[in-house]
Amino acid sequence: MKSLIFGLTAAVSLSSGVASMPRDDKPESKSWIIWADRVYTGTGMNFDAGMVGVGGGKIAIVAASRGSDDESSDRILRCYAVTAGLVDASVRITNGASSVEQSNEIQPNLRVANTLDPFAIEWDRQLRNGVTSVLVNPPDLNVIGGLSVALKTAGADTIAERTLKNDAVLRGSMGSEPSRGNHPAFGRPTDFFSRRPTTRMGVEWAWRKAFYDAAAAANDSTRAFPGSERLVQALKGDLTISIQAWATQDIRTAVFLKEEIESQAEFKNGLNKPRMFIDAAAEAWKEPQLLVRAKIPVVLPPFPAAGRTRDNSFMAWNVAEELRKEGIPFALSSHGSAAPENALAMQAGYAMQGGLPFENALAAVTSMPARLMGVADRVGTLEVGKDADLVLWNGQPFEPSSRVIAVIVDGVLRYDARDKAVAK
Amino acid sequence: MITALLALTAPLVFAAPPTKSGPESPAKSVAIRADVVWLGDGRVLEKGVVLFSEGRIAEIGTNVSVPAGVETIEHKGFLTAGLIALHGYTGGQAGEMRDDARPAMPNAKIGLVFDASSPDVADARAVGITSLLLTPNAEGVAPGLTAVVKTSSRRLLKDEAHLSLVFNAGGLVSNREPTSLSGAVAMLDQLFAKPTGAVERAHGGSLPCLFEVGEPADVLRAIDFAKRHDLRGVIHGAVLAGEVADQIKASKLSVIVPAIGVGERRRNLKSVVALAKKEIPFGFGLDSPVNNPADLRLGAVMCVREGVDAKVAWNALTSEAARIAGVADRVGTIDRGMDADVVLWSGDPLDLGSRVIAVYVDGARVDGDKR
Repeated sequence: MKSLIFGLTAAVSLSSGVASMPRDDKPESKSWIIWADRVYTGTGMNFDAGMVGVGGGKIAIVAASRGSDDESSDRILRCYAVTAGLVDASVRITNGASSVEQSNEIQPNLRVANTLDPFAIEWDRQLRNGVTSVLVNPPDLNVIGGLSVALKTAGADTIAERTLKNDAVLRGSMGSEPSRGNHPAFGRPTDFFSRRPTTRMGVEWAWRKAFYDAAAAANDSTRAFPGSERLVQALKGDLTISIQAWATQDIRTAVFLKEEIESQAEFKNGLNKPRMFIDAAAEAWKEPQLLVRAKIPVVLPPFPAAGRTRDNSFMAWNVAEELRKEGIPFALSSHGSAAPENALAMQAGYAMQGGLPFENALAAVTSMPARLMGVADRVGTLEVGKDADLVLWNGQPFEPSSRVIAVIVDGVLRYDARDKAVAK
Repeated sequence: MITALLALTAPLVFAAPPTKSGPESPAKSVAIRADVVWLGDGRVLEKGVVLFSEGRIAEIGTNVSVPAGVETIEHKGFLTAGLIALHGYTGGQAGEMRDDARPAMPNAKIGLVFDASSPDVADARAVGITSLLLTPNAEGVAPGLTAVVKTSSRRLLKDEAHLSLVFNAGGLVSNREPTSLSGAVAMLDQLFAKPTGAVERAHGGSLPCLFEVGEPADVLRAIDFAKRHDLRGVIHGAVLAGEVADQIKASKLSVIVPAIGVGERRRNLKSVVALAKKEIPFGFGLDSPVNNPADLRLGAVMCVREGVDAKVAWNALTSEAARIAGVADRVGTIDRGMDADVVLWSGDPLDLGSRVIAVYVDGARVDGDKR
């Protein structure tokens, strides 16, 4: 009965939608009709033998039937399944160490966007794996490394034109990574890196000190320092904080940092509303109640083959399903890895192997990361009016035997391997 | 007390022997009649005569009346303006053309460390290069001011040609600020937030900038910065600049093509073709003594072979280079009142079979075959 209703409404929108869709010969703004055996919208509605229409760079129609378009039209793309373009909330297509300023451990106002190469080959690799939007973080060599940028993996030649959201999150790290390379000075400092923090404990101290200093600066402008206004923005909840924390003790530290800000007198007067998600939270499964209590979503790093992953943390394939059961919102990620087994679509497959239902796996690589990045109004689901970012699959998405056969970004067919794909 | 000291030291300074203005004979009036004269503005004179007087070009034409007592040299070949190399440290010690303790020293002048007696300068002169744009090494964020010099004397043609600004990762050092591209941009933004000295002149538009880049991504970052602070000038260092030619064209910046060598990749040469196709003004860098000075003309010829119009390539070696260096009112073309910087060639200078017969700077013969 339910599917019948969908079929009816869809048919109505189809007839009006197709007529009004622009027909343009310019490849950049070409309109497309995608015929798919399965249309996974990501909104809970899925259609068998449905279609998605694209025009002017936006999704113009999503329907449960194919309509009467001329079957031979070169505007029609056929595939087994279509989903929204995948979204990765933890990517590192950067210039390595040149993308994070290490002259100070706390750099809240530096933009990683200023260091990116729009011509890097990795954009194309992400695109071919079905990823159309990413959050690029500065390398985690600082405690607070700067401002991440949300952008498309394909499109214009400049980073600015591909940007979905500038200053999408304030990025930093707990754990062992920020202190690596620093060393204590016995007597005379030997170099630039004779400085704090040199330990995990130093890292958490640097985080807390930064926010206490920023709160003081908010009340007394003579105490302002470079980037303190960004930290104040984060304290007010106007700028989401993304903290890398792999191991359970580092996840706890991040949770306690948020709770400390929410409760201490220094952060009264509106400075007690931080929004935060934890990236690379491999051991989120160990103390899920903390994350529920503090209302902190997480991004999971790639599933390791043998359980043990970075920062000596442990993560099995059922972690995603465990987090779902606990009610913790989560996204999956490649964590910037270029290894084929760490591709985002593969992560969804591993999570499903670990028990996660398909719909949740789809959300964890589309709508959920889009929400964390603050771009859910633009990308993450197949809905009329959203950006026309689509992935065409030759089989059931995330299955090991399925592959991406075409990717559309902002209405433009940017990757097309339909003729190379193995027929199923 | 200080005045007394100054008074004491001053005579010592002035007592130093005066520097020789050129390595060879001083400029005297001379007329040269050549089979072909390229004036550099598109005009070509057959059997043209160029008359030098007091280091300047006094007269040009096919029917010049040469004053009595002035020698007329008959040249069987081509006469052109001297070549201008746009980027390099010929005549300076490479390690001395920067200060790696400070990332920003925008008022430092490279012109002051030029050594005209260096054999590198003689090598440049010998292949027909008469002017050089000296550039501080691209390290830090603002390593200093570029300068234009002649290859025959210590006289500076321009001691403040561009403010050098660095946008490539090569300018970063891992043990002092900035260590990152984002830090470099932030530091430059800060310099321009409260501009003083050379930065203020660049900000006001009276001083062009030299944007040191590497990858096409650096080019875009530099263009972005130029737009943000309303700067004009020239981009150097991207062999693939032509692959972002649309953006460069829109930015109104010009380009210094990095030195081209034997066996240059075709992709790099096609990038120059792309610049030419978009009519983006460009000249050639040299970076001698790392590169052979002869590579300057060779590079232009290789671009012609790849499809760049010969006239465009020639201008890139002379008049366009002079415009980019901000000295087009003095050098780069042959016209009345211009500096008498002239090269005599055995044939068409864009034919690699042709060679330099004589080089004149400020009207004086500074290199060439024995006469």
